[in-house]
Amino acid sequence: MEIKARGYGRTLSLRELLSGVVPAKLSAALTVLLGSSARVISADGSWVMSDTPALAENARRLPLFHDLETAGYLETTATDEGRVRAVVIILESFMRSGARYFMASEMHIEVVKTDFEELQRKHEALMVSEARYKALAEHLEERVKEQVNTIESAHRQLYQAEKLASVGQLAAGVAHEINNPIGFIRSNLSTAQSYVHKIQSVAKQVKSGKDAALVNAWQSADLDFVLEDFPSLLQESVDGADRVSRIVSDLKGFSNVDQAEEEIVDLNDNIRSACNVAANQLNSRAELNLALGELPKLNCKSGHLSQVFLNLLLNAAHAMRERGEIHIWSGVEQGQIVIRFRDNGCGISPDVLPRIFDPFFTTNDVGSGTGLGLTVSRDIILAHGGSIEVDSELNTGTTFTIHLPLDRKNT
Amino acid sequence: MAELDEATRKLTIKLVYYGPAMSGKTTNLIGLHDLLSPDLKGELMTLETQNDRTLFFDLLPLGFRTPTGWLVKFKLYTVPGQVVHDATRKAVLSRADGVVFVADSQRSQGVNNAESFQNLEENVRRVGLDFESLPLVVQFNKRDLPNVLSEEEIQARWSAAPWPLVMASALTGFGVRETFVNLLEAVYPALEKHFSLHETLGTDAQSFINAATGVSLGNQG
Repeated sequence: MEIKARGYGRTLSLRELLSGVVPAKLSAALTVLLGSSARVISADGSWVMSDTPALAENARRLPLFHDLETAGYLETTATDEGRVRAVVIILESFMRSGARYFMASEMHIEVVKTDFEELQRKHEALMVSEARYKALAEHLEERVKEQVNTIESAHRQLYQAEKLASVGQLAAGVAHEINNPIGFIRSNLSTAQSYVHKIQSVAKQVKSGKDAALVNAWQSADLDFVLEDFPSLLQESVDGADRVSRIVSDLKGFSNVDQAEEEIVDLNDNIRSACNVAANQLNSRAELNLALGELPKLNCKSGHLSQVFLNLLLNAAHAMRERGEIHIWSGVEQGQIVIRFRDNGCGISPDVLPRIFDPFFTTNDVGSGTGLGLTVSRDIILAHGGSIEVDSELNTGTTFTIHLPLDRKNT
Repeated sequence: MAELDEATRKLTIKLVYYGPAMSGKTTNLIGLHDLLSPDLKGELMTLETQNDRTLFFDLLPLGFRTPTGWLVKFKLYTVPGQVVHDATRKAVLSRADGVVFVADSQRSQGVNNAESFQNLEENVRRVGLDFESLPLVVQFNKRDLPNVLSEEEIQARWSAAPWPLVMASALTGFGVRETFVNLLEAVYPALEKHFSLHETLGTDAQSFINAATGVSLGNQG
């Protein structure tokens, strides 16, 4: 009965123990050594080395021990005790050596198998970890993209803030410097008007006087025309000075963008002041039509929004190939302030349209635009919880629509 | 677990000498071969060595026959101590009935001992044995060398451990037999519980150990 085989520790049969020798040669050698016939047989008699036939009745049977047990027998008719003992020792040595071979190879197989399994396990673990790192890497790329976007946006804001700050400083300085002289120019012009009035009141007396030389001189100098033209000249100058002071105050409105504190304003005022600042560039290029509906007051960064309006106005002005029209409409739709800038300029081509809000994208020549105007405008509108959309048709015109929620807390 | 074959009336018990490289596991088996005199004693079989270091394992078969005609076989194995042979260690440890952990007493070997012991604990679990209930004896070998941990230090360090501690010097044979007897004392109850040895083999712990070590029954007590 065979105990179930299991690796290096299993019980080995005599046949296995003697598998390292050539049976026929060993059998022949045994016969020679013993000087008599001999055969080797397993313990249960099921295996006989080189199928040697059974010996005579008087044959001796000597146990062959292996691993504390009888693994088989040496049968011989030899009588020389010394020789028989020696042969048993030789056979047991062969068996030992066979067992060594079996155990070593079994152990080797087992170790190789477990090593291989271990390698496969490690391989699988590596695959899992590789997948994890891959996912992490992909995630990392996303994170980097996010960070880059954040940095780009911060960069744009910084750029714009610095630009606005320097513009603001300049404007504030200019406004301050201009305010005083324009004040006394305006005041002096009024005084001059009253002086002209006084001169006009004495003109009649001078002309009807007896002094012919004086009358002649009056007429040759054409002082009648001078006195008639003078008040209108002064009035135009007063109007001009008034416009200068209005522009100065509008400039001051833009100059405080760097402070960027929220205030409650009527956006129509911002639109008007943007129009005033841009007036010079607009007048030569386009007719400005304002259709400003009544707007609720909005808590916002007023200077920033003025900047947006100015950007859109200047863009519209630049879109004009010949003198055109710019319509600005404002009103309230579905609880949102809506402001629409519509021009009939050159329009934006469809392949450019998706990119107009991209930073540093510009169709202007290098140096004439930063490519940040619309980007910053959109950022400002987004910061107010609003949105800005563009609709454009080539050679027909462009419409920018701004939506600003009245109550930003709900967005 | 040990193998009990009713048909051939044979009980095979597997005992493993575990420990760090060069701690004296093979020397323990050589010592046992010389010291013990059971009914049946095989030759120490050394499978493969390189520079005096075990590569596969060593095997010493011992055994005795009970009066009731049962053959009780002990197969004493050593494992290769070097870290690289972990797969072999695991294979040898598989189905062990008891383990002797042979530690090197030299002060310089503390880390090796600890790592090997941890490796034993891990491998015991890996081959599906229960470390808590596995019969284990810890032998501190090489007591004859200078610069070894004192017995007090060892006792203090291992005071919380539940396993018997044996001081030994395998080269001189000191403590080798005691270690083996300690292991048999730990193994027997487990076998008794599992196979009811008293009923099957007609042995008790003392007669079993005496037979395994070759103490003639007349001399006991």
